[in-house]
Order: sequence, then C-alpha cells, then structure tokens
Amino acid sequence: MLETINLSKSFKGKKVVQDLNLYLADGESVGLLGPNGAGKSTTISMISTLIKPTSGRITMNGVNAIDKPGEIRRVSGVVPQELALYQELSAYENLKFFGSTYKLRGKELAKAIQQALEFVGLDDRKKDLVRTYSGGMKRRLNIASALLHRPQILILDEPTVGIDPQSRNHILEAVRALNQQEGTTVLYTSHYMEEVEQLCDRLYIMDHGKVIAAGTKEELLRILSTEDKIKVEVNKLDEAFVEQVKTIEGVYKIEVTELQLKIIAAKGTSLISKLVHLTEKHQIQLLNFHTETPSLEDVFLHLTGRTLRD
Amino acid sequence: MKDVLWVQFAKDKRKPLFVLLLIAGSIAATLLFGGGIQSVTTVAIFSEEADAAEIEKKWEGLLNTNDTFTFEVVEPEKAREDIKKGNSDVAVKLMEDEYRLLVSKNMPSVSSVEQHVKKVFQQEAQINAVESQQGERDVREEIESYLDDPPFQMVAQGLDSKQIPTYNIRTQLLFAFTFLISMFILGFKVNNVTQDKVSGIWDRMILSPLKKTNMYSGYLLYSFLITMFQIVVVLVVFKYILHYDVGDNLWLIILIAACFTFGMISIAMLITGFVRTPEQFYAIYPSVIPVIPLVSGVYMMPGTITNPVLLFIGDLFPLAHAMEAIMSVVFYGAGLQDVMMSLLYMLLIGIVAMGVGINLVERRSN
Repeated sequence: MLETINLSKSFKGKKVVQDLNLYLADGESVGLLGPNGAGKSTTISMISTLIKPTSGRITMNGVNAIDKPGEIRRVSGVVPQELALYQELSAYENLKFFGSTYKLRGKELAKAIQQALEFVGLDDRKKDLVRTYSGGMKRRLNIASALLHRPQILILDEPTVGIDPQSRNHILEAVRALNQQEGTTVLYTSHYMEEVEQLCDRLYIMDHGKVIAAGTKEELLRILSTEDKIKVEVNKLDEAFVEQVKTIEGVYKIEVTELQLKIIAAKGTSLISKLVHLTEKHQIQLLNFHTETPSLEDVFLHLTGRTLRD
Repeated sequence: MKDVLWVQFAKDKRKPLFVLLLIAGSIAATLLFGGGIQSVTTVAIFSEEADAAEIEKKWEGLLNTNDTFTFEVVEPEKAREDIKKGNSDVAVKLMEDEYRLLVSKNMPSVSSVEQHVKKVFQQEAQINAVESQQGERDVREEIESYLDDPPFQMVAQGLDSKQIPTYNIRTQLLFAFTFLISMFILGFKVNNVTQDKVSGIWDRMILSPLKKTNMYSGYLLYSFLITMFQIVVVLVVFKYILHYDVGDNLWLIILIAACFTFGMISIAMLITGFVRTPEQFYAIYPSVIPVIPLVSGVYMMPGTITNPVLLFIGDLFPLAHAMEAIMSVVFYGAGLQDVMMSLLYMLLIGIVAMGVGINLVERRSN
C-alpha cells in the first residue's frame, strides 16, 4: 500500500533521516519506535507529504507520492504531535471546520462529527470550549479531527505525549478498534515501548535517523535469543565487586541501580555459580536472583547501548 | 476559503473584546488628541485696579466676541489659585488699557487666548486713539456702520469658484488615529497565519483538499473585512454622531480606506515572512507600526516634513498615500480621478509586499 525507498532528509547539511525503507500493507498496524530525536516525526512529515525528502521515494499503491501528494493526502488522516486545535472554539466547532476542509457538508458533515465524537468519547462535552478540556481530552479531539473523512491510513505522531494513563488507554483502545474493526491501516510512532508492543503487528526501531531493526515483536525479540537477562539483588554493592562481575566470561552489559544489577550475558554462561562465588568473596549477601524475559526495551538497549528514554 | 473565513470569525465572535476595545480606542484617541468635541474654553478675567468693577465690565463685553472662548469675571485670588493648581491654563489680569496673562504652562490654548486678547486690546487702542483726535464724535459707531457697508470687499474663492476650504487638523487626526488602530487590528489578524502554522492547524489544512490560495485568501480576507468594519464604524460614529466634517463623499473615503487596508495587510504579510513565531511578530510589528504615521507625517500639518529621506520612507507605506487622498477628498472635494494615483500607489505597494511576503512564508515552510 505505502512504501518508502531510501528516504532521506537533511536540514542544513545534517542528516535527520537516512535511507529509510518502510512499508505498510493494507489493514496493518505498524509502529515506529525510537527515542526523542530519532527522526520519527520527520519521517511522519515526509510520509504525510508535509515536507519533501532530500532523496528517496515514497509510493502509494505504486504511484510516486512525492510528485502526487494528493495520492496520500486523499486517503490518510494525520494526528500531529502538537494539539492542532482552536482552543477558543468548542469541540463541535473545531470538527465542523476540519470536516468542511474535506468538503463535507450538511448531514454528511454532521454525521461524521457525531461519529468522531462518539469514537473518542467526547460527545457529551462537544459544546464545551477546547481550552476547558484536560490534556487527555484535547489529545482525543486531536485524533477525532483526523478521522472525519474516514481515512484508510491513520498516521499518529506520538499521540499520547503528556497525558494521564486513563486517557492513554482510551486512545490506545480507540486506535486498536479502528485497526481491527474498521480495517484502518495504522502507522503509530512513539517512544513508549509498551504502546507499540500492545498496538502494532510490526515495528520499526529507529535511532539517529536510521532504522536499526524491523519486524514483528517476536522477530525482534529473537535478536536477544542468544542472551540471558538476569536481575540480581544484593544487600550492599562495591565497585570491586561490580568490576569483577564485568570480567565474567559471557557478560555483555551491566546496569547498576542502587542495590540491583541487571546483567545481560550470553546464553549458557554459568553465571549463577560465578556470582555466588563472587558474593562470598566480597562478603555480600545475595538477596534475590531471577532471569527476566527480554522486552523490546532490551532489544533497543542491545542495539543502541542506551534506553529509549535516554 | 469561506471555511477559513468562518473559523476566523467564529474565534472573534467568542472573544470580541479585542476588536471592540480597538474600535473604542480609536474613537477615544481621536477625541483625546484631536481636541475633543468642539467645546468653548472659559478664561478667567479679573482686575485689581481701583475701579476694577468698571474695567472688568468694559473688557468682558469687548472680549466676548469670539465663539471659541468665554471670558468670565472671577475674584483675583480664585484666578490665581486655579492657575497654581493647574485647573486652568490661562487667566487675564485687566488694567485700564493693558493686560497681563497669567499662565501655568505653555499649552496651545494659551497662544490662542493671547492672540484674541491682543487683537481686542489693539483694536480698542486704535479706536481710542482716533476718538482722542476726533473730539466728541462717536467714532466707534461710525466704524461699525462703515464696516457694515464697506466700499471694498474681498471675497476669496478657490479655482473652481467655490469657497476656499478650511483645513482642519481634527479631521486629519481622526483619520490618522483610525488608520493607526486599523494597522494593529489587521496585523494581529494576519498573524493568525503564523499562529496556525505553529499550532499545526495550517498543516491540517495543507493535508486537506483545501487549496493554498484559498487558505491565504481566507485569512487575508478576514483581516480585510474586520479592519474595514472598524474603519467604517469609527467614520460613521464621527460623521453622524459626533458631527465631524469628513466630507460628503463617504463612499470614496471608504474606497481609499479599502486600498489602504489592502496595502497594509500586505505589509503585515511581508513582516510575517520574516518571523518564525507569532511571538516574534508581536514583538516586531507593534514596534514598527507607530513609526509609520510619524514618517508619513499624518499627525502634523501638511508640508511639515520636508526631509526628502523621510518623505521617501513615508511614500513606501500606504498610509501617506491614503492620507493624501483622503485630505483631498475631505477638504478639496476631490473625486475618484483626482485620487487615482494615490489608490494605484497603495495597490502597487500591496501587490509587491504581498508577493514577497507570501513567497518568504512559503520558503520558510519548505
């Protein structure tokens, strides 16, 4: 349906997005995961035809969408990261305006507004001014504004930034419903790993403007299939102990937080016996010890050496 | 376009205070700086001579021949107290054939009072001089009857055989302040383009089937209409309620105002092209706008500014051309053809500034 081929964007000579290859099949829900500054928003802006790429191609059903942006604009709804709403107008008035820009008129417009309001759960507050809304309600209205013309592709750029968990769940549920019940194709960007994990069939992990991994959640987790992630809790920690743990054969990475050690080591490393031996040597008491199932966060850590929120 | 126009109107409908305050502000500024509603100034007169009552009675009658001033006899202490406290600008101390002005500060009204008092005293001195030469004859009555039917009369006429028009600074200031306020209104409305760009609303519109031409037209047409509304309301208030002389050709004045508004909207668009955020516009625009009337000389008598550099800078803005055209219409009864050049200048400034402004805005977007 939608494909980008070697898509790149530079601002003042600095490459913000580099050779991005991405595709979205009809009805799919695809996540774009990456920390702040990874190039997700620039990618979204290029895909939604708001900015022109420096190089590369975007095709929509085989048609070059850079030359014919209407091909994408016609079928897509974009939810920007910022609240693109008139604060001094009511939710209904905002939707009336955005609907009318899509040439919706009369009963058709009224029906589209009603459906969008019901979908995001703002029907009972439709007459209230947007400036009186909570952050979560504004975010929901931001999404509703992109749904009025019933787009085939919904592109969401970090739609849950800075809102309460309830509103976040509401938004995630709504997007899931759109994808699963209405068959809307979803491209969802976030730096919250758990959101894309919940919502998306496939993921692209971006860092420093590049896609560093792509695939289904299972495929990505398989990257860590050769590793164990072990969490160790002790009664005290000293530097010498940590340094010696680092020297254990097969240990890749150690994260130290207060009295906890997160150790990523090669599968099959006889870590437990070596750790017990080291704790005894340093007169440290081992309080807890367990192996964790790796998450996408771990995949990101493995690939980039830092966490998503770094 | 009409959707964009509607949403701009809907926003102002929710918060009309800004526009209403500026309309009221433009009326208040004209009344305040233009000398207010035509009123008669009362000037205190007193005498401290031995025959004070007689002197006061004589001069009160002679001085009260002017519609602008009313000379009123007061106690000397009160007159001095009022001057000290600043309650009045000027008082006149009368003597048999002389006067002294008591002044608190050098206000424009002082020189007007002085001119009138001096004229009356000079005239009286001349009559007294003639009377002393002529003995018992009633010279004063002779002069009055002579002036009623003089052998020569001078009638001043304009080139078109009509009465010579009287220049009126109040009328000029009315238009100057109306246009000054209108520049603020239209500028802040044009700034909605930047505001909506920053908020992402502009991008939403870009992604919709709405054409860019329609988007710009919606914003700019709204700025134009709301500014014209302000100008027309102020003109109607002054013409029909406060009875200012704004000439008979109101439609031509509105046409000039429309060309001025278009020109200034384009200038505002040009400034928009140089800024990234609405806040930058709010910082730059209000700093630039008050300078335009100054370099255009609209607060001064025509011809006051003679510096060619200032005149050239003034000519770059529509205000100088608008004021020139309006003064021609109001004071000299000029018609459409007479002010055509001014209208064309304004339209030319508008087209050039609009072209460059939109181009800059688009380059910045890309």
